[in-house]
Amino acid sequence: MSTPHHASDTPLDGHVPAPDDGHSIETVELPGPTAWPLVLSVGLIMVAFGILTNISFSFLGIIMALVGIVGWVTEILPGRGHIHEELRPEELRPKPVKRADVDVIPMAPGMPGHRMHMPEKVHPYSAGAKAGLVGGVAMAVLAAIYGVVSGRGIWYPVNLLAGMVLEEADTDPVAQLEQFHLLALILGLFIHAVGSLFVGLIYGIVLPMIPRGRVLFGGLVAPLFWSGCLWASMDVLDPVLAQRVDWVWFIASQFAYGIVVGIIVVRTEKIHTTRGWRA
Amino acid sequence: MATTVAVPEMTDKSPRRSSLLEWVTTVDHKRIGIMYLLAALFFLVCAGTEAALMRIQLWKARFDFLEPDTFNQLFTMHGTTMVFFVGMPILVGFGNFLVPLMIGARDMAFPRMNAFGLWMFILGGLLTYYSFLQGGAPDVGWFAYAPLTSATFSRGMSTDYWILGLMTSGLGTLSGGINFIATILTMRAPGMTFGRMPLFIWMMLVDAVLIVIAFPPLTAAQTMLLLDRQLGAHFFDPQQGGSAVLWQHLFWFFGHPEVYILILPAFGMISEIIPVFARKVIFGYESVAAATVLIAFIACGVWAHHMFALGLSRTIDIFFSGSTFLIAIPTGIKMFNWIATLYGGKIRFQTPMIFCLGFLAMFLIGGLSGVMLAAVPFDWQASDTYFVVAHFHYVLFGGTLFGIFGGFYYWFPKMSGRLMNETLGKWNFWLLMIGFNLTFFPMHISGLMGMPRRIYTYDPELGVDIWNQLSTIGVLVQAAAFIVFAVNLIGSLRSGERSGDDPWDAWTLEWLTTSPPPAYNFEVIPAVRSRRPLWDLKHPEDPDWEHE
Ligand SMILES: [Cu+2]
Repeated sequence: MSTPHHASDTPLDGHVPAPDDGHSIETVELPGPTAWPLVLSVGLIMVAFGILTNISFSFLGIIMALVGIVGWVTEILPGRGHIHEELRPEELRPKPVKRADVDVIPMAPGMPGHRMHMPEKVHPYSAGAKAGLVGGVAMAVLAAIYGVVSGRGIWYPVNLLAGMVLEEADTDPVAQLEQFHLLALILGLFIHAVGSLFVGLIYGIVLPMIPRGRVLFGGLVAPLFWSGCLWASMDVLDPVLAQRVDWVWFIASQFAYGIVVGIIVVRTEKIHTTRGWRA
Repeated sequence: MATTVAVPEMTDKSPRRSSLLEWVTTVDHKRIGIMYLLAALFFLVCAGTEAALMRIQLWKARFDFLEPDTFNQLFTMHGTTMVFFVGMPILVGFGNFLVPLMIGARDMAFPRMNAFGLWMFILGGLLTYYSFLQGGAPDVGWFAYAPLTSATFSRGMSTDYWILGLMTSGLGTLSGGINFIATILTMRAPGMTFGRMPLFIWMMLVDAVLIVIAFPPLTAAQTMLLLDRQLGAHFFDPQQGGSAVLWQHLFWFFGHPEVYILILPAFGMISEIIPVFARKVIFGYESVAAATVLIAFIACGVWAHHMFALGLSRTIDIFFSGSTFLIAIPTGIKMFNWIATLYGGKIRFQTPMIFCLGFLAMFLIGGLSGVMLAAVPFDWQASDTYFVVAHFHYVLFGGTLFGIFGGFYYWFPKMSGRLMNETLGKWNFWLLMIGFNLTFFPMHISGLMGMPRRIYTYDPELGVDIWNQLSTIGVLVQAAAFIVFAVNLIGSLRSGERSGDDPWDAWTLEWLTTSPPPAYNFEVIPAVRSRRPLWDLKHPEDPDWEHE
């Protein structure tokens, strides 16, 4: 794009053959002025106006609209409806863009600006996914231990989790919730796996951006934060769990998840971001 | 038939005065854009007058300046006009003028359809206003809830004027939306990938997609209503097995995306203006574009938050409350992007910029009261009070209209070749800022004190007189601001300082050509290598494409 603001000798959109004087004039093909769209819209408005006042206007409007359409169509046939607009003489054209005489302050790390991209290195997404799944296992182990310790069995926490979707669990007696239910197991596993994976992915992306104390952040601060959110919204998310949850065990299992995921993510080797690939 | 259209003589090389006929038959996107703007300004005067009359009526409790029926017509026409005949046409007008210039094209993809859209809007607006001469304007609110719109409760033809006026102008809007999509997808200059499009173009593209999604349901609903009223159908008549709630679903499925149709182009404008006046690139280009797409996506799934007071069901309320909260996230992302763009910038406080800063402050207030209203119990309390009126005026006036003013001051030189007056611009801004806040901030308070919307008067015992009087005084200050703007616009058009091609030292392609541009926009279609093609030309030692 050496001189984009000057007409070049190459043909533009439309290049008409030389007129009488024998010199080639540079032109641009543009759609010519037309009244047909206006005729069509007046026709359509007349149709509406007729419905509101006297229906004979509508008939008139239909005819007018048809005339407008026909006129419009004839104009888009090849070779019609276009004009060849001559390029302006040089003196009326835009001035060439001048090279700026101000110096640009080079961007340096620590300065706000678009050329600083943080972080330079990140963990691969797979690290977050893997860590999330392992963390999910850790959480499930803790939940199973809770089931055993509380004397309600390992299916109890699974059924409580499935209560997020299974509405009838709301009214089931506790004894029911201690039994094995295949559907609840499938749903519970699904919810748990998706949740663990998703949060793990977020960990993988967010943790490298934390300046220091990543395991502390991932293991304690973040789980504490979302436990608070869950505590506030549990009534809506999973009424079954809300009624029966043991908050000490619940938060402990969140910490277990956070610590495991945090450690795994932090330990994976970092790779350069795409920004870093530029030579 | 095409031969009847005269090909203008091109021998005269000097810029000449253009005749009215040239404007009426033009298919030039720039002229069409300017006509959109002028027509919308005309309707703005209409809607502003309606608002002022309402504010006089609300000056004191039990005032009888206006008849209740007249008041109903005024708030209906004010809302309808502002949304359909002011807000959208102004934005579509800017889009028309700017999109081809900014993407380095010679015109829109369908130039004749572009003219068609303009005329449908103007004539549809005039048709709606013609109802004033035919026994009264529509008086069912801009939302036209059933069963108020049924033939039983809305006698005469006023509601039919509302239906047909909006249907016809909606056809124009829809054709405009299709045109923008086709233009942006197919007519970009060589090298202008999606990742290099100016953010205004991104926003117009998403806006056009929203138009194409939102308008057909409205037109369908209006057709059903017309059948109900004219041919005895019962779509919205519960007594005959129809459903009044269905209307609300259909209307708000259009109505909420409409709010984003009205704000996204303004987002786009300030995303262009702020970087130029902060002398920095926009912070997080990708995230602004992505947030725009996300907003459009979520905006299609929040409509029932207008219907919390209806008692749909707990599950539905929770879903729509949640999705409404969610939309605050991409919107918040953009706020941070704009603020981060300002941070560390070498800011020039010229009129386009101060309107953008006003936008940020006012839109923030409107956004926050929106989050408050997204909470179902709060909405039950505040629904149909002046709190809601305050909320959406902070969004659409403090947001959209402030952005539009910024856009006027920024792009007026490109349209006319002259700069607008800076001193008058500052007066315009401060009068508008003060008048706007004086009018609408007290409405938060009167609303929470229980003052209902859409009622022609209020009880003296409510104790809201003082807040209403502040609001009415605010309108006076706003009127002064609009007069200053009109004086500035006309004065600058006649004798403003010549702007030159690129008065703001800006970076997007519209500043590469003359002000005003020739019919064909560019002698040579520019090739683009970065998001700021003019920066690359001005700073060949440090071009953007090395960094993007
Ligand atoms: Cu909404």
